[in-house]
Amino acid sequence: MAEDPVHDGKRFDPMEPWKGVRDIYLDAWGKTMVDMVNSEAYAQATGAVLDTYLTVSAPFREAVEKAMLKTLEQLAMPSRADVVSIAGRMTNIEMRLDDLDAKLDGIQRLIVQAGTAPLAEPRPARQRSKPPASKKTSSAKKAKRGKK
Amino acid sequence: MAEAPVLTDPFTEAAERLKTLTKVMSTKAAIGQTPKELVWTLNKAKLYRYTPVLPQEQRHPVPVVLVFALMNRPYILDLRPGHSFVEYMVNKGYDLYLLDWGAPGPEDKNLTFDDYTLDYMPRAIRKLKATFGVEEFSLLGWCIGAILTTIYAALRGDEDGLRNLILLTAPLDFSDKQNLTFARWTDERYFDVDKVLATFGNMPGEMIDYGAKALKPVENYVGNYVKLWDNIDDPRMVESWHAMNTWVTDNVPLAGGAFRQLIVDLYRKDKLMRGELMIRGQRVDLSRIHANLLTVIAEDDHITPSCQSEPIMAKVSSADKELFRVRGGHIGIMAGSGASKFTWPHIDGWLAPRSK
Repeated sequence: MAEDPVHDGKRFDPMEPWKGVRDIYLDAWGKTMVDMVNSEAYAQATGAVLDTYLTVSAPFREAVEKAMLKTLEQLAMPSRADVVSIAGRMTNIEMRLDDLDAKLDGIQRLIVQAGTAPLAEPRPARQRSKPPASKKTSSAKKAKRGKK
Repeated sequence: MAEAPVLTDPFTEAAERLKTLTKVMSTKAAIGQTPKELVWTLNKAKLYRYTPVLPQEQRHPVPVVLVFALMNRPYILDLRPGHSFVEYMVNKGYDLYLLDWGAPGPEDKNLTFDDYTLDYMPRAIRKLKATFGVEEFSLLGWCIGAILTTIYAALRGDEDGLRNLILLTAPLDFSDKQNLTFARWTDERYFDVDKVLATFGNMPGEMIDYGAKALKPVENYVGNYVKLWDNIDDPRMVESWHAMNTWVTDNVPLAGGAFRQLIVDLYRKDKLMRGELMIRGQRVDLSRIHANLLTVIAEDDHITPSCQSEPIMAKVSSADKELFRVRGGHIGIMAGSGASKFTWPHIDGWLAPRSK
């Protein structure tokens, strides 16, 4: 009796045989419960419980809200409605800032494009200083029209 | 020589187990640890960019934006080091972004899908494109995030440069009421959505959590803890359980307006698939989706059965589309032990050639 009973390097667990039984029981219980929550009766019952809670708690909630509102007024502190209103305005300001940010990004992109454009290809507006090129284009167009 | 008294061992072991149990039940695991920077913010929403680990020339040029559900924290995508989809994708050379919706406050009770898809998403995408100089991008939407990305793809996808769309366990078709437990629970005969929202403003996270867990009550309320106790001596299992439990118990409310749309327009009237969903005066026409599409279905999903995700394949105009089925549950396919062997490599294998 000097050593613990060891099987495959693991200590013998007297509860091991019961685990199989437990798992079978949990499995069966689980399936029964899944069937139950999927039933129309369960949906009806939970709906009724929730509805009752909402109906019964409404007067208490309203009373607490009124009392809280009066207390906050007396303490010259903002109510929930005031904070919600300010938060709404803040989001609105954030939206406007985001709009400005979009415009700034657009301007920055145009500036970058303007800076790199001459390197990539000449801008059409500046081609006025190159009459031969435009003449070629117009004469080519006329030639095409003539063919038609 | 006599050996140490063995009778003390079971007591020591029991004490150690209880200590571990107390720790994982009363603390939060360190999650979402992949380094990231804030790129854009609006109200509670934030766009993060995960710090790339590969040099630019080895990275895919088309960035990927992750959009998770509105009522859960998105760090399920970055659960823990060594088991994180985010970490996996960053290591594979994707320029990865996360759109975190945050937790709506009372002031956000009127936020709807219209706001999320036509204000928040286009603005975040615009900032991404302007800041990092890209014209095209990929979107990955999961659960309610997949609803948002689908609506966005139909309304703005082509205009904004959406190249690839990945939908994970996407609840889009609500016509098969018999297979949808949520549809039964939220039937207008039993569930007064206006009364609930008049009381709470937003749909409380606790109620959403109860709804998700009550689909499999024994598994979630009993089996989950039995599994922990059975594996309490295995540090890897305990670490994994701890991280998942931290995520599962960290619920956020769902904005009242969006919840009303989800119940009335989708669960009850199935407007998205019927082509009747109106978002800020525009009809959401799924045939306007041209982006390459990958739809991932979890075969054992009890929250979004496959019948909700399959029909979109026939509705979109994408020339390049694939339906991928994987064994696992709603969350397990992306965060379970098999995710890194099946789902993540498949997403990478599909996305990589389409991100060049």
